[in-house]
Amino acid sequence: MKELLYERLEDVVQDELFPEVDLALREGHHIDASDTTRYGFLAEAQALLEGFYRRYACELIRSPDGYFYLLPSGERLGRRHLSVGEMLVGQALALLYLDPATIQAAGVLPRAQLLELLANLVGQDKLVAELNPRRRRRDERIAEELVRKELDKALRTLAALGFVELMEDERLRLRAPLLRFTEPVRGLGSPEDAMRQLIAQGQVLALETSEPEEEEQG
Amino acid sequence: MIDLHRTLAHLHQTQTSISLSTTDLCFLLALRTRADRESLASFEEEILIDVFLQICELTEPGAENPRKRATHAIQRLRDQRFLARVDGAGFVRAGEYAMTRLAAAIVDFFLAEEALTRESLTLLTKTLLSHLAALKKAANQATQPEDWKREIIEPLRITVGDLVGGIERRQRGLDAQQEEIRERIGTLLKRDWFAAVDTCEQLLEDTTTTLRELNEVLLQDTSHLQALLQDIEQLAADANAPEAEAATRHVMEQVDRVAAWGTARQRTWSEYYQYVQSYLRNVVRLDPNRAVSQRLRDQLATFLAQPFGLVVADAPSIRLLRELEAHVERPPVTRPRQDREPPLEELPADSLPMALESHVRHALAEGARSLAEVLARVLPHVPPEERFRATGRVAALVSTEARVQAPHERTWTLVPGQLVVEDWSLQVPRSSS
Repeated sequence: MKELLYERLEDVVQDELFPEVDLALREGHHIDASDTTRYGFLAEAQALLEGFYRRYACELIRSPDGYFYLLPSGERLGRRHLSVGEMLVGQALALLYLDPATIQAAGVLPRAQLLELLANLVGQDKLVAELNPRRRRRDERIAEELVRKELDKALRTLAALGFVELMEDERLRLRAPLLRFTEPVRGLGSPEDAMRQLIAQGQVLALETSEPEEEEQG
Repeated sequence: MIDLHRTLAHLHQTQTSISLSTTDLCFLLALRTRADRESLASFEEEILIDVFLQICELTEPGAENPRKRATHAIQRLRDQRFLARVDGAGFVRAGEYAMTRLAAAIVDFFLAEEALTRESLTLLTKTLLSHLAALKKAANQATQPEDWKREIIEPLRITVGDLVGGIERRQRGLDAQQEEIRERIGTLLKRDWFAAVDTCEQLLEDTTTTLRELNEVLLQDTSHLQALLQDIEQLAADANAPEAEAATRHVMEQVDRVAAWGTARQRTWSEYYQYVQSYLRNVVRLDPNRAVSQRLRDQLATFLAQPFGLVVADAPSIRLLRELEAHVERPPVTRPRQDREPPLEELPADSLPMALESHVRHALAEGARSLAEVLARVLPHVPPEERFRATGRVAALVSTEARVQAPHERTWTLVPGQLVVEDWSLQVPRSSS
């Protein structure tokens, strides 16, 4: 029988790693197996921490894909949903994660590849319209620059949440928590049913569609 | 020591470049294989042509004038220093050729037969250890500078340096092999997806085992190598043999590099291994029909029509309240009041202007009829440092007290105080005189 590293919650809280891991989880960070120290700590303390966070109306979730995160279900701990821009970037990154072509570099790729994929799948015009709803301009160069800025902002948020790692030289490292973006399409049932189930579980929030605005003249 | 700048300048100046077609490359590979098979140190021209014809048949079937092409290919390879003529007979008879070091290096790269294996590494490190032990013994017995040069420095540079260089070369071979394996795993998954899982796992395991074994040998043997090299360096320092010290240090750096390679490659491979294992487990095995990618693609394409957002925790950071500070009423910005009148100060009266006036009148009364004459009478009463300034005042006084007549060409006259003035003639009214 495997020996338990932590017998009581007090042992977990006394661990040097606890404050750091606790703060990261509360701030929405996803901790995956590549972060061996913090992931190992959570794996060892999981049973005790689940009860601990339940008292805050939160669920400590361990995904079968190998990552932990905290999902608030009540109002005791703050929560938010990802914006449309962040969701677009997240799904595109998840698509790249699934692509065997990214394996050779162990999930490291240039940012430009993400932009290219998004433009191909969503369309450059839609992307500009969605990421700059109040600043529509006819100037293509300015629009592209604005899209790039919005994507950078979304990437910074996703990096802070542990979905991706920002590296030097405009490169990204894809991480396993990106598979959370594939949850609605991973089951054998219809994506609509899966979405309803995820909404019921509090994993996902349905957003309102934004109305297209009139283009600025000139 | 290689002078990089000189080498670069030479390459630039001579416009050195290398161009190798597929046929030429295959030709060199075939030559190398033939040399190995038949133990040839050099090739007669007829053999070169024969090999080229075989290669040409393979790479460019049906090409016209293959013999002529062979002659051109040989010349091309000679021009680029891939082949060297070794018989020295010029045009007298058909030549004999050998592959150069450059050609051998390129061929070795493509044959990839020199990747590091546990066996080759163990053999190389054991040979190195035995050489270094012998060198240490020789260093203990060396008494003369010639002994150091012959017994230690030269073997360190050539035998030991070449052995360590051999390990480094094989390391580069293994790097290339790993790169190929990474590419192969990606290609296999792209092509066969679920069916490729076992092959990919086997490739991963094989490379992991190879790297682990190599690292074990490196960790074990490099410490022994370094210990022996340190002993030799110490002996060289004691015997005051700086050249031997430098040669030893150079080999030590090479050995350090070899050891660092093992650690770095194992770390990089470990990251890659974890990533691919996670991918195989979470992506490929859970989606044997590869449907998720397409469904996610569809989801992304229609996302803007039915947007949704993942929910994440967002507890604000703990805030530390600042210490209470009393609100301070800041006075409006003002300038300090000050008396704008400068204070009066008591100074002795300046009597010079009045005295000058009196002296000028007196001089005119005495009959002075030119500016120079007036100045000759007045300036002796004025202190030397005031004379220049006083000259101007005298001129002004004279012009009011007398009628000045200045001809077009005025004469320059020396007056007391080493001053020279343009002289005026004066007419004094009767009442003044």
